[in-house]
Amino acid sequence: MANKIGIIIGREFKERVHKKSFIITTILMPIFMLALMAAPALIMMVSSGETRDFLVVDESGVIAQNLKNTEETRFTPVTVSLDSALNNKEVNGVLYIPQGVVESNKTIRLYTNGASSMTLENGITSDVNDIIESIRLKSYNIENLNEIMDKIHSDVKLQSIRTDKSEDEAQSSTELSYFLGVSLTFLLYMCLLLYGQMVMTSIIEEKNNRVLEIVVSSVKPTQIMLGKILGICSVAVTQIVIWGILIAAMSAFILPAITPAEMSAEVNALNAGTLDAAGASTDIELLQAMSVLGNGGYIIQLFVLLILFLVGGFLLYSAIYAAIGSAVDNIQDAGQLQSFIIFPIIIGIIFGMTAAGDPTSSLSMWMSFIPFTSPMVMMARIPSGIPGWEIAVSLIILYASFLAAIWVAAKIYRVGIFMYGKKPSFKDLIRWARYK
Amino acid sequence: MNLLEVSNVSKNYTGHKALDNVSLSVPEGTIYGLLGPNGAGKTTLIRIINHITAPDSGEVVFNGHPLTAADVTNIGYLPEERGLYKKMKVGEQAVFFARLKGLSKAEATRSLREWFERFDILSWWNRKVEELSKGMAQKVQFIVTVLHRPKLLIFDEPFSGFDPINANLLKEEIIRLKNEGSTVIFSTHNMASVEELCENITLINRGQNILTGNVNKIRRDYSDGRYDIVFNGNSNELMNALLPLAGNFEVTQASRERESLRLLINPGTSLRDIIEVANNTVEISAINEVMASMNDIFISTVGTADTEIK
Repeated sequence: MANKIGIIIGREFKERVHKKSFIITTILMPIFMLALMAAPALIMMVSSGETRDFLVVDESGVIAQNLKNTEETRFTPVTVSLDSALNNKEVNGVLYIPQGVVESNKTIRLYTNGASSMTLENGITSDVNDIIESIRLKSYNIENLNEIMDKIHSDVKLQSIRTDKSEDEAQSSTELSYFLGVSLTFLLYMCLLLYGQMVMTSIIEEKNNRVLEIVVSSVKPTQIMLGKILGICSVAVTQIVIWGILIAAMSAFILPAITPAEMSAEVNALNAGTLDAAGASTDIELLQAMSVLGNGGYIIQLFVLLILFLVGGFLLYSAIYAAIGSAVDNIQDAGQLQSFIIFPIIIGIIFGMTAAGDPTSSLSMWMSFIPFTSPMVMMARIPSGIPGWEIAVSLIILYASFLAAIWVAAKIYRVGIFMYGKKPSFKDLIRWARYK
Repeated sequence: MNLLEVSNVSKNYTGHKALDNVSLSVPEGTIYGLLGPNGAGKTTLIRIINHITAPDSGEVVFNGHPLTAADVTNIGYLPEERGLYKKMKVGEQAVFFARLKGLSKAEATRSLREWFERFDILSWWNRKVEELSKGMAQKVQFIVTVLHRPKLLIFDEPFSGFDPINANLLKEEIIRLKNEGSTVIFSTHNMASVEELCENITLINRGQNILTGNVNKIRRDYSDGRYDIVFNGNSNELMNALLPLAGNFEVTQASRERESLRLLINPGTSLRDIIEVANNTVEISAINEVMASMNDIFISTVGTADTEIK
């Protein structure tokens, strides 16, 4: 009997892995992901060519000359009145600074002939505030003011170290954890959705072209369903493992090659615990991230957990997908029933994103125990280093729920695959699950 | 000996009785017809025999023991609604189904090649199913059904979709399989093929077994005493001579310039009297009892059963 499931798993696996689309996505996905990460930087580079021109009507007479032009904004002081300055339609806007703004806090105004932006407004506000503050300071006539200011200027760096972890893992990078958490959650979300739907559509297809009628005469419906789910699951795992190997290869060979020697020395110093963060030439967060990425054991551990949660989450969701697929005749009819899956997955990714930012909150913790959201929320929390028992409990609950779900799904599947022509409701599914 | 015994099987779905206390026995090495109008419960019964669904009550005994899941390796089922994996290659797919029936990969490949050669379709081995015509795919399905040499074969409308030549080829294969010892359950709406192939039948209507038994016996039982006389001579003379003894005359042309007269013998008259009179009038070449056609039996029994229910 187990042998028959094996034959079905083999067929499902072979059919999909031999597909061109599988080979292409497996190779292109990491490249696409890299491009996605690089995109914001690229967009910034492209969009920085745009410069906004502003006229400055400065009634106080001390601000305008101190405003600094940047690549994005250019200020031109004018001596005309505000009204006539506003008539100039060739510039992007007019900045109006009223008289007496240095002496007491007043409102400055920005007239724009189009949408302005938060970055722009915040930039202008803080620039003007800095100018006013330094003018006010100067008015006290302090000797050696500039030297004093230089000495006062502070720039501490925070290096966080976990006290609940062994020496190796004590280095923690919050930014990296956040980044990893969000990426892993997203990866899981995509896999659950794509591969789960694959289970459903392929069952609908088998039912529709009646090949199931032949298969059921040799194999129990439950075994067909299990074979299909496990077959597609092994495809998903294969894909993730290939990605893992690709990424590992990239970080093992490419990362050291492109890292400047000075930076690697600092990473080594950080690992040895001898680095003084403030004196380092590179940002401490980046150094910590590099140190974590260079830690093979940690990466493998993370990867194994990813696979465990991916498989658990996939099995749970695809059991429901399978039940729905068996019940309907075509994908359009599946729409309404599918919301029972899409909804928890969406909740999962939303809480996953939140949990990546605040992994120790009790909401995050509970969400990582509830089986429908746990794979995504847990993957968001794991990079921050949470207690092992929480991971274990979450995994146990997840796999136990899978067993329960597959039991119910098998009952629905058994009836559903022979039901044609009627669009079933959720109530029908429950009734089928109760059949002897 | 009976290969399959179905006793008092009932199956309920919400709202209706798919099978109501159905019993039948299929003797080993025969072709057994399972007949009935659409929705009568045939498919449900076949699924129970295939161990796909379980009956609510009753028992199925296969080859002397209660049916178990392991018995499916001794059953081959060609469902009426059938399909294949479109994207898979023909040979690979046939091997897949054969392995599900318990054959090893090597065994399956070897005997598949034999069958493909016999059907002259070896060149299809590496083609994808989606490239085949419907009839071609049906041939592959037939082979997949019989490949593992099952004791019991169940064919549901096996000839649908075949041209007459291929239907005939298939019919010969079914008879050959029977002669080699397989037992066949044959479900169809084509009554002519039932008369031709089946030894016994069961007719199911609305989940109940309304008629069961040997085909020839049933046909004789439903016959009303009509005979066909094939002869050389004048048909009007013959009719006039027979007028006191029989009625309901029908004259048709028979082969080789002979004529055929169908008649219904009057009560109290024996066939011997008829022959004597006819023999004096024309040159008789044959006298046959007209057996009721399965088509008429089907229509009359299902029709009566339905009016009784109403």
